[in-house]
Amino acid sequence: MIVFKTFLKILNQCKGIVLLYTGILIAFSIFNMSNQDSGMNFQAEKPDVFIQSEDETGEIAKNLVNYFQKHTNVKDLSLDLLQDALFYRDVNMIIKIPENYSQDVLNGKYPKIEIQSTGDYQASLANMLLEKYLQVQFLYQPIFSDTTEYMQKMNDTLDNEVQIELLSTRDVASLTQAKSYFNFANYAILAGLVYIVCLILSIFRNEPIRKRTIISSMNYKTYNRSLFWANSLFAIFLWGIYVLVGFIIVGKAMFSGYGLFFSFNSLLFTICSLALAFFLGNLISNKDAISGIVNVIALGSSFLCGAFVPVEFLPKSVLGIAHILPSYWYINTNEQIYLLENFHWNSILPVFLNFGVLILFTIIFTFLTNWISKRKLSID
Amino acid sequence: MFFHNFVYNFKILFRSKALIFWTFAFPLILGTLFFLAFKDIETKEKLDIFSIGIVEQENTEFERILKQAFVSLDDTSSEALFHIIYCDEDKAKNLLENNEITGYVLLSQDPKVVIGNNGIDETILKTVTETIVEQTAIFQTIFNEKGKEEGPLNPAIVMQNIEQEIQNKLNQIEEMIDDKSPQKLSYTMIEFYTLIAMTCLYGGMLAMTSVHKTLANQSCTGKRVMVTKAKKGILVFSSVLASFVVQLIGLSLLFLYTIFILKVDYGNELLFIILLSFMGSLAGLSLGSLVGILFKKNENTKVGVLLSITMLGCFLSGMMGITMKYMIDKNIPFLNLINPAAMITDGFYSLVFYESKSRFYFNILCLFLFSSLMIFLSIYGLKEDKYDSI
Repeated sequence: MIVFKTFLKILNQCKGIVLLYTGILIAFSIFNMSNQDSGMNFQAEKPDVFIQSEDETGEIAKNLVNYFQKHTNVKDLSLDLLQDALFYRDVNMIIKIPENYSQDVLNGKYPKIEIQSTGDYQASLANMLLEKYLQVQFLYQPIFSDTTEYMQKMNDTLDNEVQIELLSTRDVASLTQAKSYFNFANYAILAGLVYIVCLILSIFRNEPIRKRTIISSMNYKTYNRSLFWANSLFAIFLWGIYVLVGFIIVGKAMFSGYGLFFSFNSLLFTICSLALAFFLGNLISNKDAISGIVNVIALGSSFLCGAFVPVEFLPKSVLGIAHILPSYWYINTNEQIYLLENFHWNSILPVFLNFGVLILFTIIFTFLTNWISKRKLSID
Repeated sequence: MFFHNFVYNFKILFRSKALIFWTFAFPLILGTLFFLAFKDIETKEKLDIFSIGIVEQENTEFERILKQAFVSLDDTSSEALFHIIYCDEDKAKNLLENNEITGYVLLSQDPKVVIGNNGIDETILKTVTETIVEQTAIFQTIFNEKGKEEGPLNPAIVMQNIEQEIQNKLNQIEEMIDDKSPQKLSYTMIEFYTLIAMTCLYGGMLAMTSVHKTLANQSCTGKRVMVTKAKKGILVFSSVLASFVVQLIGLSLLFLYTIFILKVDYGNELLFIILLSFMGSLAGLSLGSLVGILFKKNENTKVGVLLSITMLGCFLSGMMGITMKYMIDKNIPFLNLINPAAMITDGFYSLVFYESKSRFYFNILCLFLFSSLMIFLSIYGLKEDKYDSI
């Protein structure tokens, strides 16, 4: 019990770090909150555009603006911030409608519309919408001499929508949020848990303290067991906090089979991280070095395995190297859980195989820790 | 005395493994991680060919026209948008369930798009299908209107004329869109600019350590140094200068590594880059000195304070999310005017992406004012420190 009490005393001094990483996790999750509405119906993606119209009174220009208001998010921005807005992807496209645009169109001319775009998927979609609109506008122009009828026909054609059927019954918006929350938890678990456990172990292994412990009446097995259980309890407590925060922030998806799988996967990863922490704690003797080494491991794993940048954006070569890290298997499992359509055995088998890999990593780290401990003991 | 203290401080700083790790090695490691994680992000954000299924149902003339339109967008054509798999409905459904296609189109008089999930590819498939269907509606409308104007028509001749007319106009549409998108839009560069900002501010740790080891009321080394006959001002100044030189060496290494190995674009104007780095380092140094002088705590607490200020500044300037600085500029612009990390990041951004230098000079001015204020407060803090015994 004395070991456990000492553990709690040291842990109490580290509560700032636990709060810091929990805070970062919450801040990141809120920052990444999806704007997409939850639901089982099809929802078209809407690119963000800014329209600068120099033909404010013209009917044709107004109709173009209305069309974009219907199919995109038209943003209201200060002109000073326009270039920054494009650079930082606040808008995917800037559309400039020239002066006398409506009159020129009605006179059968082909006035140019100036655009600036980010060149990404959303910008391509905005471009398709613009081309789609201009196609109808210019093909109908010579046919209809009456402006009202012209615009009416144009809008009727543009309003035609094809039928769409959504096969998936998954709530993609909520699941995306759950996936990104648990992917980011990779960093919080590694940086928070591994750092604190390593720090506490290094304090217990401090030479004068270690010597006093060795000559005490306490059996070294009891001592080690107490230390192991204290660390494990802390790990489970930290995992519990992160899952609880997940339930509060993500909500809906967590109260389903998906939530159970996400939580179980994070539990396995927490246990694996604990084993890694024991391994590093045994390996690193310099207390000052812990912060640097843990930071490099946590940031490295998070960047290379897809905790910060979505996996689909990472180069194949990086993902290939990432296979040797437990974080890769943890995040890969989250991705597989996210894609599950049902919980039939055939669908969940790959998820269980990934669980197996995480358990294997835990066994390897435990084995290495024991090996190093024995070596150190025999040297002593 | 000045030179003597300068040399010894220089040696002390270089022998501190922890300081060298955080100011030299950590930025290099972080830069490498940024490079590995972000190197493909902008390429993968661009519209790429994705797989879809096309299912013919009744083999009517209308279905043939629709199918022909999709063929023109197949990956074998010049305007490739899709990799198309032509199959029956069961096969298409199976492919969709296995995530091998984004969705499939059931061709009929009233075509239907079947998709697995909501998403950008799915929206593009829907938009393209609607555009194709729309073209046939336009065709029909023009045919009907021409019939009203010109009386009974020979359908075959009219259709051929309309088809030709439509094609001519469609070719002109692309010319009506004048694309003036800026060429330099690599927004991931911001990550590397924040990295430079972080290194400049981390340099404050060097100045703080030097000050800590020089002042009598803060460390034992300081007590020994201060009992000498040398003036306090000279000792503090030479210590801070030594840390400035070490910081510039670390920064130069980072520049060399990011420019030649990671191919980061800082613009072509070397003098401006040096000026900005110099001012950024000065801001970090003055901040570190102030923390070292004002906080009469142990060294670890001071490092914690400085690291927290630096990381908060870098967070607000976009290190953990590229758009953060823009969001602050848009909503709380004052915050970026007192954040040296944001000034350094914005300085590089304006240097690379803006032709006018006014924004760059404004950032330099802000950094100068920030450093002056920190130095003024540090001098004031030093003058206030008077003690008969410690």
